Amino acid sequence: MFSDGIMNEAFLNIESQPGKLVVSVKGRWIFDKVLALEEATATVLPEPGQVVIFKCAGLEEIDIAGAWVLYDRTEQLSELGIKSEMTGFKAAHFKFLQNIIDAAAIREYEEPSEFPERPKIVRQTVEQLGRATATHVEDLGQIARSILDGMRKPSLIMVGETIKQVYYTGVQAIPVVVVITFLIGIVTVHQAAGQLEKFGATVLVVDLVSISITREMGVLLAAIMVAGRSGSAFAAALGVMKLNEEVDAMRVLGLNPNQMLIIPRILGLVIALPMLTIFADVAGIAGGALIAVGTMGISGLQFIERVAFSTDLTDFYVGLSKAPVFALLIAVVGTLRGMQVMSSAEELGIKTTTAVVQSIFMIIVADALFATLFTRLGI
Amino acid sequence: METIISVTNLVNRFGTQLVHDRLCLDVQRDEILGLVGGSGSGKSVLMRSILGLQKPRSGTITVLGQQIKYHKPGPSRCWGVLFQGGALLSGLTVQQNVELPIALYSDMPVETRHELASLKLLMTGLSLSVADKYPSELSGGMRKRVALARALALEPKILFLDEPTAGLDPIAATEFDDLITYLHDNLDLTIMMITHDVDSLFGICDRIAVLVDGGVVVGSVDEIMKSDHPWIKGYFGVQRAQRARLVIRETRHEY
Repeated sequence: MFSDGIMNEAFLNIESQPGKLVVSVKGRWIFDKVLALEEATATVLPEPGQVVIFKCAGLEEIDIAGAWVLYDRTEQLSELGIKSEMTGFKAAHFKFLQNIIDAAAIREYEEPSEFPERPKIVRQTVEQLGRATATHVEDLGQIARSILDGMRKPSLIMVGETIKQVYYTGVQAIPVVVVITFLIGIVTVHQAAGQLEKFGATVLVVDLVSISITREMGVLLAAIMVAGRSGSAFAAALGVMKLNEEVDAMRVLGLNPNQMLIIPRILGLVIALPMLTIFADVAGIAGGALIAVGTMGISGLQFIERVAFSTDLTDFYVGLSKAPVFALLIAVVGTLRGMQVMSSAEELGIKTTTAVVQSIFMIIVADALFATLFTRLGI
Repeated sequence: METIISVTNLVNRFGTQLVHDRLCLDVQRDEILGLVGGSGSGKSVLMRSILGLQKPRSGTITVLGQQIKYHKPGPSRCWGVLFQGGALLSGLTVQQNVELPIALYSDMPVETRHELASLKLLMTGLSLSVADKYPSELSGGMRKRVALARALALEPKILFLDEPTAGLDPIAATEFDDLITYLHDNLDLTIMMITHDVDSLFGICDRIAVLVDGGVVVGSVDEIMKSDHPWIKGYFGVQRAQRARLVIRETRHEY
């Protein structure tokens, strides 16, 4: 433990006399030394029947923490039925401390119990499942309620807000979406060319890139990009507004936050994402064309002919028709999570993360459903 | 008299607006200094400069003999700050908020840390039933008390208070003033407080520093009251202030 005489002597001198234990307290009893002080006071161990006398005249400095250690020891001793006295105490701290403690008893620190009893696995699973279901049903209800609430008595303010949202989520996202799909077009052609060359069907890369971009990749990439950009922005913006009581303020002013905040974001994104998808489709095919024409000996005219031959408007509409659905998912999840922020900055972070992860997840699930549906329908 | 905080030739400028023009201010040990000034007179900027949160154009600031550098660790072990809104960490409980500085600066065992944190909460007049609550569950006055407990957690020598009674009702404000006086009387504390509460100014401040024209006028309450400066006259000449002064003078004697 600690070596007697080294730690100890700096703070205490213990002298055993018949009937009493005289402890001379000295040195600096301050916050920084609390650990050493606790060890030192623990060595004050009177014999049965001895009274402990703390002589405090030699004390250089004492603060609340130091006084607490001393006080705590006298308390511990009195619990053991040993009386203790203080003499020569100059500082007012001790009385101050006594006043505070008299006012309310300090509660004991409870070790968190290490092994809480675990419920049975089955019960746990069912419970979790039930809770998750309830939360999701609740979420769904909350969304439905705020959308319906927001649609009542539509006002002109919504139009302005919606246009603003189209600008933030759509127009400002054009550069990044264009660059990304352009690059993916390049990657697709490179990957496909290697395989198709073996069959002497190099020209089919054009079919591949134009069909895959228009049907799937264009809209999917745009949606994922927007989920990362705007889904998080929705959740964070609304979350901070909730924390600042701005949402409450709007209600008090007679403005409907669902109408002012949620509906314009949903509408804005539903308008913006299909437009982004068109940009994405064009950029993706352009990326493919760059490589096909530049490195694979397919002429520009041939490329355009091939695109026209393989891809018809249906493919384009299939891709485009998914965009509003994805937009709805992103906007609804983002705004819902934002509105669910209640108390802390940490919660805001968690909700924002959830918004992005859930919206991307739901986009991909929805895309899979669409693929199945369109195959069944033969489109 | 020992000088605890010394500000020399401080210049702060935002764009074309000169906030502090070679401002000099000394804070003495064991005093309560009240800082007043109109909006935009640079009260918060001065405090933020002293705390190293604001980079001044020029000038030197020394706290406890240590020169303050912008965003460099200052004597944070020796000062406690009560921000205006409390600035409690919203993800931690009240108890954890107060324990945090102790955990950062000390290696004491969990139990002691816990007890000391509880003690600080009691010191600021809170009951321990709030210990496990989150800041968002507390009222404004309670949040300020918790923030004060956190500011006091490390047994600081200096306490900075930014409008401690703003947003509190008169009764809570008086209680808070009494609490500050009580702590000041019992702990070896130097306090610098920004305040607009006339009751606080007359009731608990030893000296008042008025920020005017980029500089500062410092003096005891009576000295400041005699000042000829138009802004100071306007501020303290308000009848309300005079009345508050009389009332406070009378009641304080009873303590």
